Amino acid sequence: MIEVEKLSKIYGKTTALKDVSFHVNKGEILGFLGPNGAGKTTTMRILSGYLPATTGIARIAGFEVHEQTMAVRQVIGYLPEVPPLYPEMTVEDFLYFVTRIKQVAAGDRSRRVDIALSKCGLLEKRQVLIKKLSKGFRQRVGVAQALVHDPPVIILDEPTVGLDPRQIIEVRNLIKSLANDHTIILSTHILPEVSMTCHRVAIINKGEIVLEGTPDQMIAQLAKSEGYDLEITGELELINQAVNLIKNLPGVIDVEIINNLSSNLSNSSPNNADLVDTVKEYSDQPVIMQINCEALQDLSKEIVGAIINSGLTLSEMRKNKASLEDVFLDVTTGATMKEVKPDYLPGDHIILQENVNVNNDQSADVN
Amino acid sequence: MSKNNWLKEIQIIINNIMAIYRKELQGYFTLPLAYVIAGIFWLLAGYFLIALLLGGEGIIQQLATRDQLGITKPPIDAAYEFLKSYLSVMGSLSLFILPMLSMGLYTEERKRGTLELLATSPITNWAVAIGKLAGVLTFYVTMILPIILIETMVISATNPPISPHILILGNVGLILLAGGILSLGMFVSSLTDSTVLAAILTFALVLFLWIIDVLANAIGGNIGAGLQHLSLLNNYQNMIKGVLDTSSFIIFFSYIILGVFLTAQSVDALRFQRS
Repeated sequence: MIEVEKLSKIYGKTTALKDVSFHVNKGEILGFLGPNGAGKTTTMRILSGYLPATTGIARIAGFEVHEQTMAVRQVIGYLPEVPPLYPEMTVEDFLYFVTRIKQVAAGDRSRRVDIALSKCGLLEKRQVLIKKLSKGFRQRVGVAQALVHDPPVIILDEPTVGLDPRQIIEVRNLIKSLANDHTIILSTHILPEVSMTCHRVAIINKGEIVLEGTPDQMIAQLAKSEGYDLEITGELELINQAVNLIKNLPGVIDVEIINNLSSNLSNSSPNNADLVDTVKEYSDQPVIMQINCEALQDLSKEIVGAIINSGLTLSEMRKNKASLEDVFLDVTTGATMKEVKPDYLPGDHIILQENVNVNNDQSADVN
Repeated sequence: MSKNNWLKEIQIIINNIMAIYRKELQGYFTLPLAYVIAGIFWLLAGYFLIALLLGGEGIIQQLATRDQLGITKPPIDAAYEFLKSYLSVMGSLSLFILPMLSMGLYTEERKRGTLELLATSPITNWAVAIGKLAGVLTFYVTMILPIILIETMVISATNPPISPHILILGNVGLILLAGGILSLGMFVSSLTDSTVLAAILTFALVLFLWIIDVLANAIGGNIGAGLQHLSLLNNYQNMIKGVLDTSSFIIFFSYIILGVFLTAQSVDALRFQRS
């Protein structure tokens, strides 16, 4: 339904888009992802016919956007980055105006406006002047004008910006409900939205498409690792035992123990020279075990087994799935950024060495 | 079959223009600024009316002085003189007011981001331009309607009654003059997204037109005559004198069409730049 072939846009010396190619099948929702300034809005504007490309072509419903712009305008609904609203009009009047310029037949207009108002939750605001609406409602009117004429193709540039979480969910549901009957391309930099709403995703960075596919495909392709976070309680040597067991499981990359001891340590008496003894004292405090394993491995059964067999108490277990966020950051910054976990201070990392004598000699490295 | 298609196309175009026209009018009658401009216009028009007619330097006073001095030749038709002077003043007043009406036509669309809506809807640039021009011209006509009414009242009180010839021609000329200025002003507003800049540039344009008029009268010969023909103001002066010249109509309409054409072009051209 939407085909983009080698679209380029050059402003003087700046290249905004370079050989951008992608497609959207009929009834599909494509998420167009990218950091700010990547070229998302430029692409949307070219698709809608607002800007011409320097080179390359784009086809919507078979019509080329440069050669047959009027035909393209007939079949699209477009929400630009800034919702195009007339502040002095009421919501209803504005939507009526949109139906007129979108060539909706006179008899249909009233029905279509009602449908758009109800789909976007604007029924009780229909007589309100647009300038009196809050940002969230204005955004909704923006979405409403993109679909009031029931176009087969809908182009949405950041449709959920400025909305509160509940409204975001409503808009997401609205977009999902439109699929199948409509082909949708939406741009955003809010990642969870994309994996929840879109069938396929294209990531654009610095004017070039860097990745395209379904969210699962992309995660499988690029995600470096997944992991588990466990909260366990028990004696230090038992923990070491468990760590060794788990480290030897196939597919496990590494294991870390993170301990919330530092706050307790600072409260205790200053005479505690022997840290190991202190650690021993607090062996009934729960510690966090972070396990990094290769992507798409399900090792939960083996891990739980190792914990239980070591005689430890497991109070919480959580799987950290590789997320689209990792893929996105990886692909757009060229490096996997490690997120700083807020609960643990750097000094709390205790990494246990491999060869641990269970009986007596225990060495603990405090980083 | 194809004739039906033709008719349908024309129907669509007319609908588009009407849609824009309606929206524009709606805006004028809800916008406080519009009322302010209209109020100022009426105040000034009223002042000039009183001054011209009844004031110390006014027509009636002048004629009375003439009578007292015993000058009877050439015979002066008071109503005619009044209308001529008043319409001339109205023309000048309009030259000040009109840029304020046209300055927002496209600058507001750009600022609000609604130009993106119009440019991605199945409606042509010039349909938008025509709709906007029709809207602002209608507003202007509404503003001068009361003035025309008063002029009619003044005229009807003359003895012997004069033909409505000048009244009609003069005001038609005024409306056409306004159309020309508004059209060019609309073009100027489509060049920028700053309302103030649009206003300043349009005032400059009006000044330029006035200069052409002065030059036209000063320079003799063919060039002068040519300039006179082209000068909007000169054509207007002719109309209020009661000179019915089809070429004047043509010139007026040419200016109007020029403005619309340039506007349609510039909206397209400016999209092609970095915004």
